[in-house]
Amino acid sequence: MTDQQAPPSGQVPGQDPSPPEPGDPGRGRRSFLRGVVSGVAGGIVAGGAAGAAGGYAYRAGQPADPSVAANEAIVTGQLPAVPFHGRYQAGILPKPQRQTAVVSFDVTAQSRAELTALLQTITDRARFLTAGGSPQLVGVSGPPSDSGVLGPQVVPDGLTVTAGVGSTLFDDRYGLAALKPARLTPMRTFPNDNLDPAQTGGDLVIQFSAGTADTVMHALRDVARHTRGGMQVNWRMDGFSSPPRPTGTVGRNFLGFMDGISNPDVTSATEMNKLVWVQRGAAGEPPWTAGGSYFVVRLIRMLVEFWDRVDILEQENMFGRRRDTGYPLDATGIFTPPDYSNDPTGEVIPLTAHIRVANPRTTATASSRILRRGYNYDRGIDEVGNLDMGLIFTCFQQDVKRQFEAVQTRLIDEPLVDYISPFGGGYFLALPGVTGPSDYFGRALLA
Amino acid sequence: MRTTRLRATTAATAAIAVVLGSGLTACSGGPAQPANLITMTTDSCGGSWHVAGPGWHTFQIRNGNDVGGEIDLTNPATGGIYAEIAGFGPQTTTPMTIDLGSGKYAFRCLFQDADPMLGTTVTIAGHATGTPAQQGTPFNDLVQPAKAYQKYIEGGLTTLLKLVTPLDNDIQAGNLAAARRDWLPAHLQYQRLGAAYDAFGDFDDEVDGRADALGVTSPKWTGFYRLEYGLWHGQPAAELKPVAATLKSDVSRLLAGWPHQEIELIDLGLRTHEILENALQFQLSGHDDYGSGTTLATTLANVDGTRELLSVLRPVLVPRYPGLPGVYTWLDRLQAGLLKQRSGTGQWAPVSRLSTTARQQLDADCGQVLQELDPIPTSTEPRN
Repeated sequence: MTDQQAPPSGQVPGQDPSPPEPGDPGRGRRSFLRGVVSGVAGGIVAGGAAGAAGGYAYRAGQPADPSVAANEAIVTGQLPAVPFHGRYQAGILPKPQRQTAVVSFDVTAQSRAELTALLQTITDRARFLTAGGSPQLVGVSGPPSDSGVLGPQVVPDGLTVTAGVGSTLFDDRYGLAALKPARLTPMRTFPNDNLDPAQTGGDLVIQFSAGTADTVMHALRDVARHTRGGMQVNWRMDGFSSPPRPTGTVGRNFLGFMDGISNPDVTSATEMNKLVWVQRGAAGEPPWTAGGSYFVVRLIRMLVEFWDRVDILEQENMFGRRRDTGYPLDATGIFTPPDYSNDPTGEVIPLTAHIRVANPRTTATASSRILRRGYNYDRGIDEVGNLDMGLIFTCFQQDVKRQFEAVQTRLIDEPLVDYISPFGGGYFLALPGVTGPSDYFGRALLA
Repeated sequence: MRTTRLRATTAATAAIAVVLGSGLTACSGGPAQPANLITMTTDSCGGSWHVAGPGWHTFQIRNGNDVGGEIDLTNPATGGIYAEIAGFGPQTTTPMTIDLGSGKYAFRCLFQDADPMLGTTVTIAGHATGTPAQQGTPFNDLVQPAKAYQKYIEGGLTTLLKLVTPLDNDIQAGNLAAARRDWLPAHLQYQRLGAAYDAFGDFDDEVDGRADALGVTSPKWTGFYRLEYGLWHGQPAAELKPVAATLKSDVSRLLAGWPHQEIELIDLGLRTHEILENALQFQLSGHDDYGSGTTLATTLANVDGTRELLSVLRPVLVPRYPGLPGVYTWLDRLQAGLLKQRSGTGQWAPVSRLSTTARQQLDADCGQVLQELDPIPTSTEPRN
């Protein structure tokens, strides 16, 4: 819930080198693998060429803006495949998809070899699930290899599987202490947090995002089935992103305000290299982290009943934006940047307003910007019958301290804290991308 | 709990053995059909058919008979089954999807009240691998395991009665401290017999029923868990005496009636994973802890019960399930993890007091055992 400078759409132009044919019953698993191999070759070439244009442009195949075709694909659960292989993980830059599950795991593997096997298995499953295709046929030699919840053919439905590692993976169990990412720590507790240890941290995180909830759930179930002995779910939060209402604006959080209006420009390689990707040779970083991105997850309850009893002027002053339009309080355009130079005492946008504190839009604070990818969550009720809903705040960055923690430190005691309660989440490093069929998550860390 | 699905009668076993043993190729001829439509009739098990090559194929299989039955796609040399359509209704058409590898294929038709038929052998050239053929398990191969298991249960029930008797005596004598000591060995002995749940019928509810449906104050709630609840919730001996007496009498009746019970052959394979499915759901979760905090001991007893089933099924499993060693790897790991939670003096840690790490490890190990076990029911399903 911070506010960043950004291009209007957050659009990730992408090309989809080899869209699968989910309806083709003759498409076997092996032929699918062949398809990936050829697709990857194309991807690498495209990626190389796209280096100047961002280096990620060849991945991220989701439709960027609502269009009739995209909406149809979303409604029918038939979004095209997002290429899995690449220098960076494919689920980081694209705009939030409709559905997500953020799942934290603790590793139960008993050795480094078992940890390696675990990450290879996760990779293999992610490679298959994101491309879609026919599950392996086992005949009568066992139960079906797939849960069947997506039908006989696994549809890709825009699935992305984003994997990250937490600081606890680098304890003494697997001999990885010396390779710990320099900026990876346990999640810090901020003054107004109410962190529940049972919903905080984890050795691994996997975020599954796709067009529909069944695709997300299917992927989680599949990965869990193949990794039972190697890891256990620590905590899990399902979420969704709301469509822009009205059309052409930005999806809203459960406080009724648009969330993620401004963000760094994901189409700018320069900006991504400054803000999102861990750079090769970055101070103190082990080389294997290059191409990764620090992944902060904060589970933030929103006390919506309390919020709904707050008058609109107070609500808007807390955010610094109009609720209905998303306009900054000093502007008449949703994507018009607020101009604090004309308002030094906070007559228009209060000095304590969320957008103003989160991103003061000064040269000094420009390097603290983060790539926000939040989702709403809604999961039942609490002990007093209030609705348990809020935000899965996720953001990607190069340096947690310089970025997320700096922003969050500025936000300590902002007026909004009375209406929200961060209760869980964790800090992770989203791993570098899986570059091809023989690569796997964390290979550079473990090899 | 699963039920046996419709299969042709046991009598057919001998008949099919003759057909396969003599290597007959039945029912060749008949008019050529569209590549993917294959019709089974009383005199032709699919007729002649062909495919362009290896890979995924979906056959539309038509049962042209007026009776139901089962169609298997087999390797005629080994009798291994690639795919099957069971419960195949008369005059219906059903798809059969298979990844055909290089090798020999023939349909086998098992229609009600008819001898098994083997169709034309079709050879697919090359070196492609496809859906594996599973060697079926003839009824006869399961008879010895079932007998061995029957014997194990009979011995187990005899031991159970020996352990329930002092428990009952303790309670009748008002010595509840002794009863709390004697309760666990008796309960674990019952839990080691887990595979026989179905065969025990209503006795299981009486001997080891949970309070869920009844509530802990219900007089209808009887058995080990009822006693556990009373013994660990300060209930007086007078209240527990009738419960203990009923338990002992139920176990006696169970033992007396056992020789007349029959174990369904299909249950042997099913129970290999169902015992630990229940352990994960009710014991490792702590759900079935009515006060003694011994659900990890119960899980270990369930591991013992699973091992016994695997042991009697070993001759059937070894040639059919290459993953069997993996089952033991993870059973050993689960067992070692459980034993870590027993103190030097034999006290078990309640699940509720375990660290998150310890719980995750046990859940992971049990979960992986279950995954490793999951091909066993299909590979030990009795087939003609």
